[in-house]
Amino acid sequence: MKILSWILRIVAAAILAQTLFFKFTGHPDSVAIFTAIGMEPGGRILIGVLELIAAVLLLFPGTVAFGAILSMGVMTGAIVGHFTDIGFADGLLSLFVLALVVWICSAAVLVIHRRQIPIIRQMFAKSKY
Amino acid sequence: MSSLSVDLHKLSKFVNLALPVLVIGFLLAGKYVHFYFHFLTVAFLFLTIANVFYLFVQDQHPLLRNFGIVAQGRYLVESIGPELRQYLYSSDTEERPFNRIERSEIYRKAKNIDSASSFGSQKNFDTSEIKLRHSMYPSSHDDLIPYSLTFGEERGLKTAYTITKPMMISAMSYGALGQHAVRALARGAKLAGIAMNTGEGGYPKYHLMEGCDLIFQIGTAKFGVRNDEGYLDDEKLRELAGKDEIKMIEIKFSQGAKPGKGGLLPKEKITREISELRGVEMGKDVVSPPHHKECTDKTTTVAFIKHVQEVSGLPVGIKFCVGSPQQVDDLVQEMVDQDVFPDYISVDGSEGGTGAAPKSFMDRVGMPLFPALSSVNRILCKKGVRNRLKLLAAGKLINPGRQILAFAMGADAVYSARGFMLSLGCIQAMQCGNNTCPIGITTQDPALQRGLDIGTRSVRVKNYVNNTMHDLEELLAASGERSLDDLSIDNLFIPEDSTLAPLVHDKYIDSKH
Repeated sequence: MKILSWILRIVAAAILAQTLFFKFTGHPDSVAIFTAIGMEPGGRILIGVLELIAAVLLLFPGTVAFGAILSMGVMTGAIVGHFTDIGFADGLLSLFVLALVVWICSAAVLVIHRRQIPIIRQMFAKSKY
Repeated sequence: MSSLSVDLHKLSKFVNLALPVLVIGFLLAGKYVHFYFHFLTVAFLFLTIANVFYLFVQDQHPLLRNFGIVAQGRYLVESIGPELRQYLYSSDTEERPFNRIERSEIYRKAKNIDSASSFGSQKNFDTSEIKLRHSMYPSSHDDLIPYSLTFGEERGLKTAYTITKPMMISAMSYGALGQHAVRALARGAKLAGIAMNTGEGGYPKYHLMEGCDLIFQIGTAKFGVRNDEGYLDDEKLRELAGKDEIKMIEIKFSQGAKPGKGGLLPKEKITREISELRGVEMGKDVVSPPHHKECTDKTTTVAFIKHVQEVSGLPVGIKFCVGSPQQVDDLVQEMVDQDVFPDYISVDGSEGGTGAAPKSFMDRVGMPLFPALSSVNRILCKKGVRNRLKLLAAGKLINPGRQILAFAMGADAVYSARGFMLSLGCIQAMQCGNNTCPIGITTQDPALQRGLDIGTRSVRVKNYVNNTMHDLEELLAASGERSLDDLSIDNLFIPEDSTLAPLVHDKYIDSKH
C-alpha cells in the first residue's frame, strides 16, 4: 500500500510539475487555453502556483491528503473547463486525459490516506474514547 | 418559540439542500459569467460530497447522519472546549485535579515571586476542611530544629541516607517524561539538595546525568533489573545499587493513579531508546503486571523486601496505595514475625495522578491519602514498630498547606510529582498519556520538548522547593512545635463531619516514636 501510494503520488506530482514549465514561461498553447476561459494572464499564474503547491504537498508524508484534495480541486476545474470552454480538439484531448489521470491518482491517494482528511478523519480514526 | 431564533434542525435541512443547488449555480456562473466562479463550484462540490458521505455513507455518528455537515460544527467547537473552559469559563476554584489558585501558587513559588493573597481565602470553610491549629505561643525561628531524616539508621547501615529537606520528587520515569523534563528535574533536585525518585522506567540514564541523589524504583515489571522471565536479576540490581548517585531502592507495589494494576506505557511514547532501557518491544502498549512475580502473599512479600535489602546493600523502601488497612495490618504483622522491616513505607493516596491509567482506576480505586496515611501510622504505632522505619506520603501534596497536614498525620517526609511538573510549567493540559504535552514535559516529541529549557526550568524547580520549605517552616513555627516530628493529629482541627474525625480520639497515634 505504501509503495502504491508513492507511485500514485509521484505520477500525479510529475504531471502537475511538467505543465508548470508551459504555464510559467507563457507558452503559446498555454496562453491560448487560458485566453479561452478568460483567465489570462493572472489565472494562468494562479493555477500554476496552486498546482505547484499541490505537487509539493503530495510528496510530503504529513500533507499527502491536503495535496490530493487541492490537486483534485484544480483538476476538477480543468475537467469542467474542458467541457464548457476549452473542448477536446487537436492536442487538447491529451491534456484532458492528463488532467483525468491526475484526478484519478489523487483520488486513489486520498482513499489510501483517508485518515488524514481533516473534515471526515474521525470516521476512520481509531477511536480513543 | 420567539420570532427571532435559530432552529438547528431547519438550518441543517436548508444547508443540505442549498449545497448542491449552489454547486449548480456556480457551475452556471462559471459558464456564463466568468470562469473564476469555478473556484466556488469546486469548493462547494467537495463540501457537497463530504455532506453526502456524512448523510448516507458513514454510520458511526448518528448526529452527522441526521444533520450532515452543519452538525460538524458541534464537534469543531466541542474539540476546543477544554481549552476554552480553562482559559475563560472555569472559575478559579472549580478545576480538577488542581484549580487555578492551587496551580498559580506553585507557579509563583517557582518563579520566586510573592505568593501572598488578599481579602480572604477562597476555600470552603465547611464541615470537612481540615486545618492546622496554630498556637497562642508560636515558636521563634531560631528555636526550630533543623530537619534531618536518616533512612536505614534502624538497621545500622553504613549506606544510610540522610535528607535535610522533607520533600522529594516522586516517581516519574523517563518514558513517561521526556528527557528535557527528567534532566530539568534532576538538575533542580541537585540545586535544591533533594532526592529524586527514578520511577519504574528502567536504567535511569537521564536521571543520572545531573548528579542528583536518586531513589531507584523497581516496578512490577522490574524494568532495568529484570531477567527474561520478569523476575529480579540480582546482578543488574547490584550493579545499579553500586552507583554513587543511587542512594535508596524503592519497591513499588501499587500506585495511587492505578492501584491494583500495573503501569501502562502507551505505544505512542515508546521510542527505540526507551525500548532498550526497559527491555521491551516497540509498537505495543507496555502493560506491567499487577504484582511482583516474587510476591504472591505477605510471607513472600516480606522475604522479597529482605532479598532486595541484602542484594542492594542500600536502604530499601516500599510504596503502595492502601486498599484495605487490614491487609496492611497483616503485612506489618508479618514484618514483625520475620523481624524484617523496609527502611521506609511510602503511602500513595488514590488521588495520585501521574501515569496513564484506566479512568475507572483513576477515579474509583484505593483509599485517599489522609485516611490511608493515618491508618498506616496507627497500625505501626499499635504494633510498636513505628520506630523501625520511616513513613512517607504522596498524593496531591503540592503545597505546604497540604503537606503540613500529612506531617501531622504521621509522615516523616513527603513526595510530590505533579507539584514538580507544575513548577516546570505544566499547564494541566491533561494529555500526559498522548505524547502531545504542549509544554514538552510528558512527551518524547523533540519538537514539543524544544521549548522546555533545562537550565531555566531547573532553577524554577529549586525555587519551588526553597519557597515551599520556607512556608512549611512558617507553618511549623505557627503551630508552636519545634520540628515536623513533634506534630501530631492534635495539631489539626478536624471537623466532626470529616472521615478523619474518629482518629482525633484514637490515642494510639499520639506519638510517632
